[in-house]
Amino acid sequence: MMRHMYVIVDFSDAMADQDLKPTRYLCTMKLLEGFIEEYFDQNPISQMGIIITRNKRAEKICDLAGNPRKHIKLIQQLVQQAWSGGGEPSLQNALELAHSSLKLLPPHASREVLILLGSLTTCDPGDITATIELLRKVGIRCSVIGLAAEVHICKLLARVTGGDFGVALDDIHFRELLLQHVLPPPSATPVPSSNSSPAPTAEASLVKMGFPQHHVSGLPATDGVTKQPPQQGALTMCMCHLDAKEEDGGALVPRTTSGGYFCPQCCSKYCELPVECKACGLALVSAPHLARSYHHLFPVVPFTELPVTQESGIVSCHSCLYRFTQHDKMCYRCETCYQVFCLDCDLFIHDTMHVCPGCASNRQTYGLAGSGSSELAHESSTGALTGLGISKLGSSIRSTH
Amino acid sequence: MADEVESSLLIVIIDTNPSQRIFRDGSQTLTQILESVIAFSNSHLMMKCNNKLAIIACHSQCSKYLYPSVNAGDEEMADDGDFRNMQQVDGQYEMFTLVEKTVRKAIHKLISSSDHDEVESLQGNGSSCSGGDSLLAGSLAMALCYVHRLNKENPSSRKMNSRILVITASGDSASQYMNFMNVFFTAQKCNVVMDVCSLDQDHGLLQQGCDITGGLYLKIPQMQGLLQYLLWVFLPEPPIRKKLVLPPPVKVDYRAACFCHRELIDIGYVCSICLSVFCKFSPICTTCHTVFKTAAPLPLRAKKKRIKLT
Repeated sequence: MMRHMYVIVDFSDAMADQDLKPTRYLCTMKLLEGFIEEYFDQNPISQMGIIITRNKRAEKICDLAGNPRKHIKLIQQLVQQAWSGGGEPSLQNALELAHSSLKLLPPHASREVLILLGSLTTCDPGDITATIELLRKVGIRCSVIGLAAEVHICKLLARVTGGDFGVALDDIHFRELLLQHVLPPPSATPVPSSNSSPAPTAEASLVKMGFPQHHVSGLPATDGVTKQPPQQGALTMCMCHLDAKEEDGGALVPRTTSGGYFCPQCCSKYCELPVECKACGLALVSAPHLARSYHHLFPVVPFTELPVTQESGIVSCHSCLYRFTQHDKMCYRCETCYQVFCLDCDLFIHDTMHVCPGCASNRQTYGLAGSGSSELAHESSTGALTGLGISKLGSSIRSTH
Repeated sequence: MADEVESSLLIVIIDTNPSQRIFRDGSQTLTQILESVIAFSNSHLMMKCNNKLAIIACHSQCSKYLYPSVNAGDEEMADDGDFRNMQQVDGQYEMFTLVEKTVRKAIHKLISSSDHDEVESLQGNGSSCSGGDSLLAGSLAMALCYVHRLNKENPSSRKMNSRILVITASGDSASQYMNFMNVFFTAQKCNVVMDVCSLDQDHGLLQQGCDITGGLYLKIPQMQGLLQYLLWVFLPEPPIRKKLVLPPPVKVDYRAACFCHRELIDIGYVCSICLSVFCKFSPICTTCHTVFKTAAPLPLRAKKKRIKLT
């Protein structure tokens, strides 16, 4: 769930090619912006960094960070500036750079690299298979999306480290391939390896996290277990904008506001969550950020397809009152609550909402959080979560005002 | 050139669960609530000619649409809500008569059928299964599906803003936490604003939902003034709200509660597999039974002995 991903973007000569409109580079940048937004929307406690490769070198243009705004602003700036890439890409340099940063992370975090490669060649200083073996040993999962054609070394890299390899046919397919990486990968994939030892899977550990409250001037500060934040009404500087510059590159202007989130360990102030405290290193999140990932653990059971016939007596969709016409061949039924839904509702429920309206309204089934998935949870690859665990989850992680 | 008039979709979810305290305390409460809601809905339809409306009742065993009418072949109304065949009250706009009659008919049917089910279940196993929390998350999910369908059917030239108003008197229901959070995030993604009008007690999860989607939460001090509060506070559409001075947002506590003691905590330990929160370090996660590696103790270094100089 806590993912750390590096995106390696190719800035070589091959990206100026115009087979993706307007150029491969501009198309990639636009789709990357959308990808970053979706990624942080679906994985709010994850981090992402960006590396580019050009002129046989690799540069890290954005460190691993949890706030999407910085990345998006950077990409927009790059698009507006003139084309600054060129030369040949260097896959090995980029991978070594990502590796040097990812190996420092704790073992419970999932480490991933996504490579967007438009060139068919790479210029490397050493043996790239040694780098690939190194990545496999550390457990970094590399995936490649090629824009030109299938390249053997990319396929080998993806296969050895347990990632995916795809080649984009056009921009719509490219977008689909990108969005496949928004979903969190399964935690324990068996990595096929011929002779060496199996790669280490991400270990589980308890991560210390803080849940700060938002204090605004005029409202009383909470007491109790933690230290007191500063007096309400006082203007204080926030730690996230200490290094902020003015828009036109002027002098350093730290931001002072009267409200914000105070770290429970060291009382430094931050404007928004999730963030890692710069002073004490504690990860600060709020409960909805954790809740946003729960639907991966409790998915809605797929509905069964039924033909729409006159005799079956199925008139309309249960949730949106859409009347089935003679053009609709199929309807979809949930096997837990036996309600019938139309195709649009089926897609909406499974892709976006992750709640079956029929099951959630029924007193016998609403607590199963995914409609009948207590058996499914037993067999799911993410762990042996029992039905008891689901109700505990619901009754414990809640906030009172 | 005609201006684009943005139409507005309002979905009202009425909590009709009979086990709520306000229904036990007074016998006319449901009638009063329904009449206020019908008057409010008609006011909404009156604001613009292309405003849309839906009303859902969240009952003890199921959630049903009160308006638009689900059934085909009603004696009074045709299946698409055609009001040509309806008996009209003189002087009332036909649309309003349609809303009123449809809602009254549907609620009558809903309550009489649920009474029938309850009597049957009482005779069957001797225990009533109608008590308990209101299953609002299911009604919210249905409302979101309806919004999704109308957004698809709406031609892209016309803009439509959507909002959901929940009128409830029930309290917090922690067992529906997951369903509620999924619904809130979906509403946020679809730009649907969720307002809550609470009649009796505060509802913590719905407050979070209003905060997440950018809606209004209001707890009404007096039931008699329900229609007034609805018209003053909840009638304006979301784009207009920034020009008005509306009740201030409630401060919502987003801290998590630990699994072991169910207390709100400031610092906790989160299992990286299942994301359950604990207040103390423990070697095994009680939800997913993963074993955690505890830090090994540091190896002891042999101390250098001081040599006494004689």
